[in-house]
Amino acid sequence: MLTKFETKSARVKGLSFHPKRPWVLASLHNGVIQLWDYRMCTLIDKFDEHDGPVRGIDFHKQQPLFVSGGDDYKIKVWNYKLRRCLFTLLGHLDYIRTTFFHHEYPWILSASDDQTIRIWNWQSRTCVCVLTGHNHYVMCAQFHPSEDLVVSASLDQTVRVWDISGLRKKNLSPGAVETEVRGISGVDLFGASDAVVKHVLEGHDRGVNWAAFHPSMPLIVSGADDRQVKIWRMNESKAWELDTCRGHYNNVSCAVFHPRQELILSNSEDKSIRVWDMSKRTGVQTFRRDHDRFWVLGAHPNLNLFAAGHDSGMIVFKLERERPAYAVHSNMLYYVKDRFLRQLDFNSSKDTAVMQLRSGSKFPVFSMSYNPAENAVLLCTRATNLENSTYDLYSIPKESDSQNPDAPEGKRSSGLTAVWVARNRFAVLDRMHSLLIKNLKNEIVKKVQVPSCEEIFYAGTGSLLLRDADGVTLFDVQQKRSLATVKIAKVKYVVWSSDTSHVALLAKHAIMICNRKLESLCNIHENIRVKSGAWDESGVFIYTTSNHIKYALTSGDHGIIRTLDLPIYVTRVRGNSVYCLDRECRPRVLTIDPTEYRFKLALVNRKYDEVLHMVRNAKLVGQSIIAYLQKKGYPEVALHFVKDEKTRFSLALECGNIEVALDAAKALDERSCWERLGEAALLQGHHQVVEMCYQRTKNFDKLTFLYLITGNLAKLRKMMKIAEIRKDMSGHYQAALYLGDVSERVRILKNCGQKSLAYLTAATHGLDDEAETLKENFDPEKETVPEVDPNAQLLQPPPPINPLDTNWPLLTVSKGFFEGAIAAKGKAGQMAADLDMDATGGEGWGDDAELQLDEDGFMDAQEGLGEEGVGKEEGGGWEVEEDLDLPPELDVPVGAGGGAEDGFFVPPTKGMSPTQMWCNNSQLPVDHILAGSFETAMRLLHDQVGVVNFGPYKSLFMQTLSRGRTCYLGLPSQPCLRSHPQRNWKDCGAKQGLPAVGLRLSDLIARLQQCYQLTTAGRFEEAVERFRAILLSVPLLVVDNKQEIAEAQQLITICREYIVGLTMETERKKLPKDTLDQQKRLCEMAAYFTHCNLQPVHMVLVLRTALNLFFKLRNFKTAAGFARRLLELGPKPDVAQQTRKILAACEKTLTDAHQLNYDPHNPFDLCAASFVPLYRGRPIEKCPLSGACYCPPYKGQICRVTQVHQDSHLPFKIIDSILQLFCHKIYFSKMEKTPAVNI
Amino acid sequence: MAAQQGDVDELFDVKNAYYIGSYQQCINEAQKVKPSSPEKETERDMFLYRAYIAQRKYAVVLDDIKANSSPELQAVRMFAEYLSNDIKSMAMSIQVLLSLDRVDLARKELKKMQEQDEDATLTQLATAWVNIAVGGEKLQDAYYIFQEMSDKYSSTLLLLNGQAACYMAQNKWEEAEGVLQEALDKDSSHPETLINLIVLTQHLGKAPEVTNRYLSQLKDAHRAHPFLKDYLAKENEFDRLAMQYAPSATA
Repeated sequence: MLTKFETKSARVKGLSFHPKRPWVLASLHNGVIQLWDYRMCTLIDKFDEHDGPVRGIDFHKQQPLFVSGGDDYKIKVWNYKLRRCLFTLLGHLDYIRTTFFHHEYPWILSASDDQTIRIWNWQSRTCVCVLTGHNHYVMCAQFHPSEDLVVSASLDQTVRVWDISGLRKKNLSPGAVETEVRGISGVDLFGASDAVVKHVLEGHDRGVNWAAFHPSMPLIVSGADDRQVKIWRMNESKAWELDTCRGHYNNVSCAVFHPRQELILSNSEDKSIRVWDMSKRTGVQTFRRDHDRFWVLGAHPNLNLFAAGHDSGMIVFKLERERPAYAVHSNMLYYVKDRFLRQLDFNSSKDTAVMQLRSGSKFPVFSMSYNPAENAVLLCTRATNLENSTYDLYSIPKESDSQNPDAPEGKRSSGLTAVWVARNRFAVLDRMHSLLIKNLKNEIVKKVQVPSCEEIFYAGTGSLLLRDADGVTLFDVQQKRSLATVKIAKVKYVVWSSDTSHVALLAKHAIMICNRKLESLCNIHENIRVKSGAWDESGVFIYTTSNHIKYALTSGDHGIIRTLDLPIYVTRVRGNSVYCLDRECRPRVLTIDPTEYRFKLALVNRKYDEVLHMVRNAKLVGQSIIAYLQKKGYPEVALHFVKDEKTRFSLALECGNIEVALDAAKALDERSCWERLGEAALLQGHHQVVEMCYQRTKNFDKLTFLYLITGNLAKLRKMMKIAEIRKDMSGHYQAALYLGDVSERVRILKNCGQKSLAYLTAATHGLDDEAETLKENFDPEKETVPEVDPNAQLLQPPPPINPLDTNWPLLTVSKGFFEGAIAAKGKAGQMAADLDMDATGGEGWGDDAELQLDEDGFMDAQEGLGEEGVGKEEGGGWEVEEDLDLPPELDVPVGAGGGAEDGFFVPPTKGMSPTQMWCNNSQLPVDHILAGSFETAMRLLHDQVGVVNFGPYKSLFMQTLSRGRTCYLGLPSQPCLRSHPQRNWKDCGAKQGLPAVGLRLSDLIARLQQCYQLTTAGRFEEAVERFRAILLSVPLLVVDNKQEIAEAQQLITICREYIVGLTMETERKKLPKDTLDQQKRLCEMAAYFTHCNLQPVHMVLVLRTALNLFFKLRNFKTAAGFARRLLELGPKPDVAQQTRKILAACEKTLTDAHQLNYDPHNPFDLCAASFVPLYRGRPIEKCPLSGACYCPPYKGQICRVTQVHQDSHLPFKIIDSILQLFCHKIYFSKMEKTPAVNI
Repeated sequence: MAAQQGDVDELFDVKNAYYIGSYQQCINEAQKVKPSSPEKETERDMFLYRAYIAQRKYAVVLDDIKANSSPELQAVRMFAEYLSNDIKSMAMSIQVLLSLDRVDLARKELKKMQEQDEDATLTQLATAWVNIAVGGEKLQDAYYIFQEMSDKYSSTLLLLNGQAACYMAQNKWEEAEGVLQEALDKDSSHPETLINLIVLTQHLGKAPEVTNRYLSQLKDAHRAHPFLKDYLAKENEFDRLAMQYAPSATA
């Protein structure tokens, strides 16, 4: 017996299961009725209106009703939704023992100590029939589940069966009106009774406590004070005793048929529940309690659940485990059902029985271990007495008829659990709890001493997980030693991910996820039982509880995916599908929405491109996700979900996104918002926004001052006017002072009666006429004209040289992925180094970066980037040339086709090959290369992108050429035929063909990873070569939308930044460092390197190099800057600690010992040849493809980055080409690009 | 005109026209000439009928030459008979026409071939070739032809590479990979398979090293393959062309 749920209460006298919900009603001896959720283990409600014990209780099958009957002679009908008693039926004259609803009619059946049974109509709320005949207390009365019969049990030692068809006919025939019961007998005018006794079953020699019908067969079971359970059979004319079950040694309280099996359950005041086999009439199982007498039993109508009420509460239990034994291997599920081993192919859904199991065990298979190499299974069976458990070793037959599968001979031995540990070895935990290793012949190969162990689980080849009282140990069977232990109580199941990198340990109410080394990654507690789980392909653990499918990330994030009506056992998860077995052992597939956990997973793995994709495309909304993002530090992501302007505003400020904040502020238009925005914008130097904020909040003082410092004299003057109109004297005066407008100041002073000051101002500034006029106003009698200070100095604000209309030069802030991505609408994430921040640089990074770096780790992860996204690449729109080049075949007379119609053999002229058409149809260099027309291809590259040195392009040309033609064989020993794959093959017809390009942006992006790895490994020269190959390939791409153009540009930028940076670093390493000047130069170059736009993992290394060099040079101030930038990147803890130490040291003396040609705050481009900074405004030359910058002296030389370009301005010809479009952009974007400065 | 002299060949014009491939002229001349002897007459008829054969007017030959004609003419008749039935020659023409990029003519020839024997293996193959050259929806038909044959008989390098060509022409690169892998398993140095793999690996976005490996294999084993000859010629052409753009020394 498996106890699912237990309650403690007063004596339980009545029980009823809800047919659908996981609820059970218990009526108690103290008058209370309890409504329990046995799955959640909670008390849902209490109904306390009866006086004294409540013995009868029953749920209605469809309506939200239940009925109760008590010792207060009352029958009460309740509505559990309204949570109250609807009405009370009165009539019985003594205790009521049972109350039941009819399954169909609006009837209630009650049995009472007043020796009657009554039938009530709960709609008319009247008693419709009284069944008399028993001559002692009636202990129980129940309707037949389908026929018009009632069975009753009484202390008069009889069981009676009543026919109530008369009642049904009378009351429920059309038009019939139910009549109030007439008299106690229920006999109508014609003497016909509504209910008549059909059979009287005599056999018990004490009072009978319970009687019940079999759900489908004409059987009755009864339990009595003679300590016997009797089975009766009946037919139309008679009923007779079939058999007696003896075993209880006190009064039998209750006896019921098992709804689906050939079993009878009974319980008794002897404190036991007994299970009887109906056919053998023998006791099968007995469960005893120590102190509690049992009073009542209830069976769930649909599920394998029972409830039993006793002296101090009740238990909900089932007789046997319902979990199917199953094992999953790649696409196959093996499971046991009805004594067959079945195989389900997940892909084809083909479900076949592969073999029949040897019979002989009364217990179902407990667990299974499958060996794919030998196609063998171990099936373990648990006996009630654990020591009698056995396992069977079967070899699955290769060929099997699914209809009638073989029943191969298995090998059976005793043992608790058997699990495969190698291709031809398995481990058995025997009854002495020691570990045996056996071979395929089931012979013991060796015995292994293990620490105390209750259970073993699979753990890959050569290993096992051993469970003891409070933990799980990873045990190496070969070395016979424990490798790791983790504390978790009572693990029941173990689920390994398909690559065995992670394992989920499932206990009753807990899940722990560990890695291969059994280090705990997270712990999840559940209130409800954990049932099963499986890993999905992205490494998320999907598990089920009794009523939910849930997910858990290895980081510990978990949540509900959907609810379940009934428990299921997950076997596999793929995409949106959860494959499972239900309790009937039927394979099922449930659909789930994986968006939420995929989203969280992408965030955790920093796959921001995916995040962005989901943000844009998925229906992920709601406060919870916003709160989640904010909590986890992704306000910029949260911003995308928020529609509410207030939240948007705060989030935007939180991530410093002034533009979004401004939009939100405009929508809100609240003073406090404008004030906060103004502050934030001022901090960023965004003074146009600041101006708007001050205007909106009418903050004239600040606005005036803002105009002063931005040199905006016109607006300042306007402010003065406004102040005058507002009669704001001091504001007016201040504005005049700012403007240096002396006469205005004099006028103000005069107007506000400050005559002396007005005079002095005028006199001091040499406004003599004005001074004179003012002087005349003085009354010589009363007033004295103040002395003019002869040493007065002119107070005049310096005139602004260059009014600042645009914003202050904004320092380039390292933009978060989302800002960048959202601006570019691109998928920059693909180009981000796919590296862990913890990866350490290789030897090439040199000692400078390696003050404390450990040399070992490069990176371990190098996952391929997603290749989705780049799809069709049709150039489109090339029809322009259609009419110009007529293919030569048109010149040939059609008749020539026959070859000799006119008597001459005219050899057919050569037709126009697809490659020629490609050249005609396209202006893209790559198409010409594919066509083999190098000459035109070079001309195009020269004209469009400015390539002059084609050397480095040779391998790219040859490769491209070689993918333009496929071949297939014609007749034997003839040269092969050629085919030409075309990208628009579906609709190009004979002449509009364009070659299949075969070079995808995504592939180039994927190749970046290799470059990054080389960079990390310090193999700079190789890395530069590869970056260059990518860069040069970009003009050979065919892209078809703006996003791809943007990505291609970004790709170019990345390559350029790396090539420049790495070339410089290579150069730097070659330089001498003997003199101070040489060392200064080294430092400068290291500093410039930090301004190349590199991936964080590389930037960390670069910054460390710069930091250490500057620290050594005692340029502490700049060094501190590097240290801060380094810390912002979140390096791994030991680096961070070291950096903080250096930073602390720097901050003691925040000075630079030497003057260097390096200003971290002034944006600059780096000359790719001389490696000197080209600060803003200095003349520069740019390479038309890479965008690399050069000092003017390098004009006309080969670009160091591409090595194919001459830095010169080229005549620009507009060609209708998409490629051209972005070349165009690069070519004219002189002021566009700035190396990022991370402050 | 020419006297009846021994050293003058009275059939000169006939033969000449035939040899230079001017078959109709040959026929015209043959009908004009008056042979001096029955032997000459037979010889003239031989050229006449061979010209007809060259024009593929087999029916004329078969009707004209009777059972009682001279043995020489019987041989010509057999030749005509042979040719008229042989679709191999048609297949050959189709292959040649396709090599000349004359898909239009190839289709005509194929039509004739199909009229003759649509189910013949060669007709089927030729249909596939033409379909590949025509492209578009026909590619799938071509694929099915190869597929059916390998189902019926067994897959061969020829059939596999044919399938691969169809797949690649449809830009179905992943599918092509499976087929070519099978071909490679059969013969790891089969030149056409290698060439197709060179194409395929690039379209699949594999690293350039992978492609280069196949190229090296091809260079090792099949120096004289037309593909490589082309390839080397192109390399030289590249160098020559690149020189023209080389930056001037003064820059």
